[in-house]
Amino acid sequence: MTALIKARHVAFSYGQHPVLTDVTFTVQPGEIIGLIGENGAGKTTLLNLLLGTLPLPSGQLQLFGHGPGDSAVKAHLGAMLQGDVVLPNVTVGEYLQLAAAQFAQSLEPQRLLSDLQLTALKHRALNGLSGGQLRRVTFAVALIGNPDLLFLDEPTVGMDTNAQRAFWQRMRALRDQGKTVVITSHYLPTIQDVADRILLLQGGRLVFQGPFEALQQRYQRVVITCQTPLPVTPFGRLAGVVTATKQAAGLQLITTDGDRTLQALVPYLKDLHQLTVHRESLADIFVQLTGGRAK
Amino acid sequence: MKTLRAQLKFDFYRVVGRNRSFQFFSIMMPAAFYLLFTRVLVSGSARELATFKMQYMCSMIVYSGMLIALMGIAELIMRDRDRGLTRWLQLTPTGVAPYYVSIGLLSLLMNVIAVVVLGLTATVFNGVRLSAGQWLLIGGWAIIGQLPIILLGVLLSFIDRAETLSIVGNLITFPMAILSGLWWPIKMLPAWIRPVGELMPTYFVNDLLGRIVTNGTLRITNFYGTATWIGGLLVLVVVVTRYRVKRGDGVVQS
Repeated sequence: MTALIKARHVAFSYGQHPVLTDVTFTVQPGEIIGLIGENGAGKTTLLNLLLGTLPLPSGQLQLFGHGPGDSAVKAHLGAMLQGDVVLPNVTVGEYLQLAAAQFAQSLEPQRLLSDLQLTALKHRALNGLSGGQLRRVTFAVALIGNPDLLFLDEPTVGMDTNAQRAFWQRMRALRDQGKTVVITSHYLPTIQDVADRILLLQGGRLVFQGPFEALQQRYQRVVITCQTPLPVTPFGRLAGVVTATKQAAGLQLITTDGDRTLQALVPYLKDLHQLTVHRESLADIFVQLTGGRAK
Repeated sequence: MKTLRAQLKFDFYRVVGRNRSFQFFSIMMPAAFYLLFTRVLVSGSARELATFKMQYMCSMIVYSGMLIALMGIAELIMRDRDRGLTRWLQLTPTGVAPYYVSIGLLSLLMNVIAVVVLGLTATVFNGVRLSAGQWLLIGGWAIIGQLPIILLGVLLSFIDRAETLSIVGNLITFPMAILSGLWWPIKMLPAWIRPVGELMPTYFVNDLLGRIVTNGTLRITNFYGTATWIGGLLVLVVVVTRYRVKRGDGVVQS
């Protein structure tokens, strides 16, 4: 199958500050890609390069076999970037009408508003909407051209729980329709759930690409939790345990060797209750990789 | 064409139809100035007054065009960029060209409206009488003379900060209006500064309109001057736009 996106040795710097270094990956049609990384890891810059809004100084990028920004590419593209269009004296309906007019074949605005449960906002001014409502409108605008490829940069920021749930349901529907989506989000549990593959950027380098299960394999740490009246100290010395913490929620052990740690726990079993064992989530691995630091 | 139509409709409502302050400052204020200066602050013979009322109407038409382009349109484009509209349009198949054409056409439309409003004001309140041919020539030349001012407005819109734009806009608009004889006749300026005023794009169009309403001889330098300004500013706009696109302007960094 021909890759829909091909990136080879992509590099980008702002002045002397390198933002992306030697980034190489491909995206196949119909894939949902979770692009994750810390703040400043280069996610948005990579999206801007893919969209052609930043000039590519080094490396190669192709979308649908064309360079980024090519009008042949734009006809198949939908983008929901950070920062919504907030104009005074413009209603949601007018914005969507203008968006529809940009494409030779667009979805019907009224129907799209209805599908996304935005009909009530149709006559509302853009600058009178809440942050979450604006994100939903921007999502509608990204979909209006019925794109084959969608770039979504932090799409659910500001959305309430119901709106987020509806958004992720829509994402699954898009996957069923065979759309290709590249999505960045800090809601890692949902990315873990919806993405076919993860691209993990760290310090501008692509340190992992593949299915979440492969990421788990690579960072195969296991989390063991339980309730216990015992102090935490002896657990920290058990085989494989890298961290042992005790909080109100109970004892948590993170181990690189689940089998050996569980065997080592056998003598304590009568004092351990509600024992759970699970592999680390994407969020756990993310924290592990980034050392839990926030930028 | 479908895109341009949609863009024009979109921009008309937000920029003109629902924007009272834009209407007031761009159209009504020059009309109020016109009435003030031709009915209150005037002196001279009846013949001189009649000529002044016609010529000052032309000056206020040009001044209105300046306000539309240098204060209104420049700020609009800058704010559209800040609010993400132009960046979003860049990502669409049709790009930003229909947007700039639409804003340019709206600016010209506003200028036509200024001609109508000031023409009606001059006719109703000051008894100005011109032939249909003269009105058409005024409308046509007001539009052509507006082109360099629109290009100047586009150049101003590249200024990144609203505060700086406001200051620079004022620093260009008011001195240019005074120097080119829009507020009072250029012959009232000191002799040493007049040659500067006579190089302004607004001088060329104002002088031309003044000659049309008084049935004077049209000067070829007004055509050349306007064409030179249009050509020069067009080159500048293209160069600056290319530079900004190459720099990836307006893109959020992360």
